[in-house]
Amino acid sequence: MSGMLKLAIQNLLRHRTRSFLTMLGIAAAVGVLFAVFSFNRGFEEGLARELQATGLHFMVVPSGCAHEVAALVLHGAVIPKYLDTEVIETIRKVDGIRLTTPILVAQLPNPDRQRIDLIYGVETDLLPEIKPEWQIDGNIPGGPHEILLGYNVAKHAEIKTGAEFRYPNVDIVFTVSGIVGQTNSQDDAFVYMPIATAQQLLENPTGATAIGVKVVSPERMGTIIGELETNIPGIQIVTMGQVMNSVSNVASSAKSLSLAIALVAVIIGAVGVMNSILMAVFERSQEIGMMRAIGASRWNIFQIILKETMILTIVGGATGVVIAMLAAKLIEAFVRRIMPYVPQGDMLRFDLGLALACVAFAMVVGIIAGLYPAWKASRINPIEAIKG
Amino acid sequence: MISLRQVEKSYRRGAEIVWALRGIDLEIEAGEFTAVIGPSGAGKTTLLHILGCLDLPSGGELHFDGVQVDKMRDAELVALRRQKIGFIFQQFYLIPGLSVLDNIALPLLFSKKKPPEGRIEELARMVGLGERMHHVPAQLSGGEMQRTAIARALVNNPEVILADEPTGNLDSANSEKIFAILQELHHSGLTVIMITHNQELANRANRMIRIKDGIIEV
Repeated sequence: MSGMLKLAIQNLLRHRTRSFLTMLGIAAAVGVLFAVFSFNRGFEEGLARELQATGLHFMVVPSGCAHEVAALVLHGAVIPKYLDTEVIETIRKVDGIRLTTPILVAQLPNPDRQRIDLIYGVETDLLPEIKPEWQIDGNIPGGPHEILLGYNVAKHAEIKTGAEFRYPNVDIVFTVSGIVGQTNSQDDAFVYMPIATAQQLLENPTGATAIGVKVVSPERMGTIIGELETNIPGIQIVTMGQVMNSVSNVASSAKSLSLAIALVAVIIGAVGVMNSILMAVFERSQEIGMMRAIGASRWNIFQIILKETMILTIVGGATGVVIAMLAAKLIEAFVRRIMPYVPQGDMLRFDLGLALACVAFAMVVGIIAGLYPAWKASRINPIEAIKG
Repeated sequence: MISLRQVEKSYRRGAEIVWALRGIDLEIEAGEFTAVIGPSGAGKTTLLHILGCLDLPSGGELHFDGVQVDKMRDAELVALRRQKIGFIFQQFYLIPGLSVLDNIALPLLFSKKKPPEGRIEELARMVGLGERMHHVPAQLSGGEMQRTAIARALVNNPEVILADEPTGNLDSANSEKIFAILQELHHSGLTVIMITHNQELANRANRMIRIKDGIIEV
């Protein structure tokens, strides 16, 4: 270790409590900053992952609010508007369509298990094509009373493949034909069943919340969408990219606000560092005077003080990142409570690049915060300091 | 070696101008052991600071090894202090968290000199701290702290040692030990200038300067 660094560390250790508290201020600020950036990144990635997991290029939905559609696609909100499944025949006639499926998403209370199930009615024989990445323990539903459970549903209810599954007031005994392996997306939360069965359960024999469409070549999507919108009145087409923008826009103000709070916290932390180091400089003015007498230049003194602030902020920054990672679950639980939509999966994941960037940012803050105390220390008159 | 010609030093205290030194003419020869005595406020410390190129005179000329110092820039004064001058203070001014060895080596941080292998330990042994090298100042007695400060003053191989009341905070036994080390340094060829209130110690230096009201008394 270089002598100057050793000296700077020793100086900080002389007032352990003060140094620790100052460092903690920076740790809290950088921890929040790291959590916000990490969460924002995790949010975008999670959202993209969930949209990709739908396995569709776009959705045909009743005219209305795109945000509602986003909610529908992503976590099974209830929309009081339905499309008539006859529309599907018109869609299928358009050139370039590879696959269409009516989707009926609804909430079905299950008081026996004290929860509300999310029903996902779909043409189940198309599932292997829509969701090719699924690992299913069992089979996709083959009969009208067979259902497929998302990973979380099965885990929560402790249900195995082949088990029976009932809803109160519904005169059907379902058989669990299979359980989808964990996807870390919204797919884990649904109960999949044939569209006709879902329509029967919801007493809406021709209704669908959306029609999912996959095209042959995505480059032609614009032309196909234009043709559909011209030929079919009362519909709206939402691409997965639009859903992503829509959800991102809803979340962006919250993200901006949290980032602003984190930056204010960093500024407060930096002022704390400046105050703490300035106090230490005043307390050590005699010692600084002695160092000037025995050969230290103004630049030497400047460097020592700047190193002290950099050590405080680098250690503080690194501690902040560690604390943020340790508290990741708590932070996520909190954010999930206050934000209307958060993708499934871990939002706060350790990213070395981001961690290093946050610590580097803390170091820059340290340099800025240390400039004034270091300059002040370098201007100490050794004669006056030694006289005390 | 050090030459002062009509050196004056004044500073402002509120509305009045205080003259700390008035028309000082002084020659310090290489190898001398000079004691500076005088009452409090007489200008002893100001004189020592000017001799040590830590402060510059308000008037007159200061020469060190034939080079005029009073017109030098701060960086040149720093270089001069690093190379040729060792300071010892009454309050020791050791860095609390550093060991005896690290405290002795402190000036090397600034001069960027690499001492010969074992030089720091040799200095510690020379001042009688061979067994206390890894102790921190809080574990040392006053005399041991001052001996550490002496070793620190010697680490850059200076030509002159300037000691500002080096025994002022010590009992008589420790004062004797410190004085003995200074005498030893003098005998080895170093120039030593020591401020003291101890008349008995001053008598044992080979030259004594008495200063009063900023003037050297003959």
